[in-house]
Amino acid sequence: MHTTRYHLKDIILLALIGIIFGVIYYAGDFLYNGFTILLTPFGLGPMANDLTMGLWCMAGPLAAMLLQRPGAAFFGEFLGAAGEMFLGGQWGAANLISGFVQGIATELGFTFTGYRRYNWFSLTLTTLTATLVTFGWDWFRNGYAHFSGQLDLLLLGARFVSIFLFSGVLVKLISNLLVRAHVIKTVRS
Amino acid sequence: MNPSLKLFLVLIISVEVSFTSKLTVNLLLVAAGLILLLWTRPSGLTLTHLLLIPAIPAGALALTVGAFTPAHDWFFAAVLASRVYVYVLLGSAVTRTTPPLTLARSLEQNCHLPAKFAYGTLAAINLLPRIIRAVKTIKAAGQMRGVTLSFWSPRLYFKAILSAISWADQLAQAMESHGFVEDQPRSQAQVIPLTGRDWALGASALLLVQLALVALP
Repeated sequence: MHTTRYHLKDIILLALIGIIFGVIYYAGDFLYNGFTILLTPFGLGPMANDLTMGLWCMAGPLAAMLLQRPGAAFFGEFLGAAGEMFLGGQWGAANLISGFVQGIATELGFTFTGYRRYNWFSLTLTTLTATLVTFGWDWFRNGYAHFSGQLDLLLLGARFVSIFLFSGVLVKLISNLLVRAHVIKTVRS
Repeated sequence: MNPSLKLFLVLIISVEVSFTSKLTVNLLLVAAGLILLLWTRPSGLTLTHLLLIPAIPAGALALTVGAFTPAHDWFFAAVLASRVYVYVLLGSAVTRTTPPLTLARSLEQNCHLPAKFAYGTLAAINLLPRIIRAVKTIKAAGQMRGVTLSFWSPRLYFKAILSAISWADQLAQAMESHGFVEDQPRSQAQVIPLTGRDWALGASALLLVQLALVALP
């Protein structure tokens, strides 16, 4: 069974998942601002962005594990961003751009495995593609190109650790619970 | 101005600003965003929130580039800081002048986005207050059993997703029982006009930004 169509129910679910992850993240919003204030005196201010990136990218991989079809990760991230746009977050419509980039970033890992594997391997691959794509975007947008090579390496490392822990390990733990509850019915390996 | 056109205009400008580093243009855009924002008569609290919170990432970026990179490029530091404000002010100028329903209608009618995407997402957005309450309830229920659920607890997400699945089911059923049929032509309760004036306004704004990008330092 390899459905690619999206019905009304799936679309609502994808948007809901994106928004829920946004809501949970906002509860820990002080993280980003707190990290930024803490790290800036050491010249590591932007690292807050990298350290929390994994949280932002969680909805995509989770949506893919749940619905197991092409585009799920992208729509999970993007529709979630569209929802957060009206959440009263500070970024407004600019959310859509980040959502678009993160959507593609988290979709790629599943694309590379041909949408056949929804397991450790494709999740790890997704954390890799998500790290590289979002870093590439920040290379331009947040001026990472202007940092020293050493700092960039450090930021890339921090970003990978964050994305691996949250979008990889935590997503896998959540989907394990969902499998045990028979919400995810078939696990292709 | 037409909601979709306004959204795309701001998105295009935001992307352009990401790939250029012109301080004057950024400052002009910030000024324009501020005027548009004041136009919506925000409360003092909203305004302080919108102006002060972005100062944290903007200041951090600027300090890092200015003080901690080999080049000590304070000009680029200012560019980055003003860029953050361009995103925030233009972005919130759109969301504060466009209710989600109007935007969904406009995207469906003017951009021919499939109705299921427009109204499916809208349905989820309208559920926002309940989502926030549900997350609080799950946390409280956990605390009653002496379990603290935080943003790293799989169980918190698990329970929230279970609620999301049942809400998605109920909402889809509700919409279908009110006559919503996927991929069928729909009549319109409110027509969102897309006039020549909208196009002219959007095009001239975009043109102005291009001219400024080329002409100004």
